Amino acid sequence: MDFYLGLLQIIGVHTLLGLSAYCVLLTGQVSLAQAGFFAVGAYVAGMLTVLAAWPLVPALAVAAIAGGAVACAVGFPALRVKGLMLVVATVAFGEAVRLFFFNFDYQVARGGIRIGPHGGEGFRQIRYFPEHGWSTLDVVLFVWSAVALVMAALWWMDRSRAGAVLRAVGEDELAAQSTGINVTAVKVSAMAIGGVIAGFGGGIFAHYTTHIEHVQFGVVLATFAIAYPILGGLSSVFGTPLAVIFIQGFLIEGLRFLGDWRNLLFGGLIVLAMNLRPRGLLDAGSTIALKRLFVRIKERAGAWPQRVD
Amino acid sequence: MNILDAIDTIQSIADGVLFGATYALLGIGFTLVFGVMHKINLSYAAASVGASYASLLILAGIKAPPPLVFLLAAICGGFIGGMVYIVAFRFIPLANPLATLMSTVGLLLLIDEIIVHTTAGVPLAYPALFSDVIIRAGPFSLRGDLMFVFVLGCICMMLLLLLLYRTKLGLATRAVSQQPVAAELCGISITGVNGLTFVITGVVGGIAGAMIGAAIGMLSPLLSLPLTVKGLIVTVIGGLGSIPGAIIAGLLVGGLENLFQFFRGVSERDLYIMLLLFVFLVFRPGGLFAASAERD
Repeated sequence: MDFYLGLLQIIGVHTLLGLSAYCVLLTGQVSLAQAGFFAVGAYVAGMLTVLAAWPLVPALAVAAIAGGAVACAVGFPALRVKGLMLVVATVAFGEAVRLFFFNFDYQVARGGIRIGPHGGEGFRQIRYFPEHGWSTLDVVLFVWSAVALVMAALWWMDRSRAGAVLRAVGEDELAAQSTGINVTAVKVSAMAIGGVIAGFGGGIFAHYTTHIEHVQFGVVLATFAIAYPILGGLSSVFGTPLAVIFIQGFLIEGLRFLGDWRNLLFGGLIVLAMNLRPRGLLDAGSTIALKRLFVRIKERAGAWPQRVD
Repeated sequence: MNILDAIDTIQSIADGVLFGATYALLGIGFTLVFGVMHKINLSYAAASVGASYASLLILAGIKAPPPLVFLLAAICGGFIGGMVYIVAFRFIPLANPLATLMSTVGLLLLIDEIIVHTTAGVPLAYPALFSDVIIRAGPFSLRGDLMFVFVLGCICMMLLLLLLYRTKLGLATRAVSQQPVAAELCGISITGVNGLTFVITGVVGGIAGAMIGAAIGMLSPLLSLPLTVKGLIVTVIGGLGSIPGAIIAGLLVGGLENLFQFFRGVSERDLYIMLLLFVFLVFRPGGLFAASAERD
């Protein structure tokens, strides 16, 4: 049972990571810096609860703000370049953050042992959950309520004017600019929203793994972050969790019985998925089809009592 | 003391510049694909490392003399490049850059895993070709293997430039990179040119991979991610789509990297290279040799 709960935690946190990349991708920018924001959030939240003994929620809030602030700071210089140059710039930023934490040493002696981030050895003993008596189920519920909150916020944003503006910039920057949209402001705010979500997710990640290390936040995590929304499809916010479940649940955990061959299949399946469904698993067409199905079920459900009468 | 320090500094820069030839070749690979298709092939460095692995395995299999490894690496690289094009580019609509980006990421993971799978993840020792040759020039000494890598890299770049600017194929490649539609109207097969570009970049990548193996004396699957990042940085510093830019940026990054390593140690080395990239993005977003004008 604990295994499945652990899997749910992983899926939840990775959904947050994917959603942070989803915001940026909506504006047509590919950012591989999400792992960097994630790392910033993880270290900030961990240091606040462990070294400053803050409660969890304010620590997560500060981590989210830190992620957003860093994203904003990166967004301004990085968004001067477009498209594929941005990919490179954000890859470099992510690596720079990773290397920063690789060299980051800030330990405090507490009760005979030294705690805090310690360079290449990472940051051990983030024991907020066990110290405060949270069971695994509590943690899962906490993670998923956070995911639900973020998804609801993004779903609502998608339906508001802000979402329309983001998508307009993503579809055609020039057209958006000529309707009077400040493209730079939109891009930087999308980056900042992504940074907030990634920092928040990173904070949760640091607490449920209890041990964070610079290796965890490398290019691989960054590519996973953009893999989720691209694979899931950008037409709806629900594509991202679908892709996380597909990758984390099916490809990584579900195929464990294949042993060594699983990893081979993993890259191959991503290539195959992109060849077969270049617009993602849940593209615009299937979203509309699902909506129709939903409406039909609703109509039928509404029709039943009349038939009984 | 001061003079000795200066000598050491210059020595480390020189070593770095010599090794930078490999970065320059990787940067050229990224740049060529970008120039022709306006897409980034993230699996390129992994494919290069894969090609040098394959050449090493073939060499061990047929018991050929070690210098042949470069030729084999070039052939394997060309083959892998062609495969990359078919698998990750050919059947994905051109108008969808995200899908190609993702498929090359998938391919990066796939190639890495194939390497790990066939070699059980153990780093392979690379045949030492010129490691016992040391050229002394006054207080400085130049390592034979690095000199060899540099010379080979220069020959490759020269041949590539000749190919691009003196042959029909090069003309077609440049035409496609400038105006795909007009090129197609002139009877150039875009698919063919794109595929050939991937084969050529694959050959270059294979040689670069072999050169890296020869220069650091071993191959490891862990090389592919750092090399991807370095290759991308070189591409951006040089200016996307510019071959001379990639060459100069490669040598620059190689030299500075070794300099930072000399002063600040190996763990902080890459951090400064990233900062250098940001400096370039802020002050010269187009890179050293930006494309002259926006073309449509």
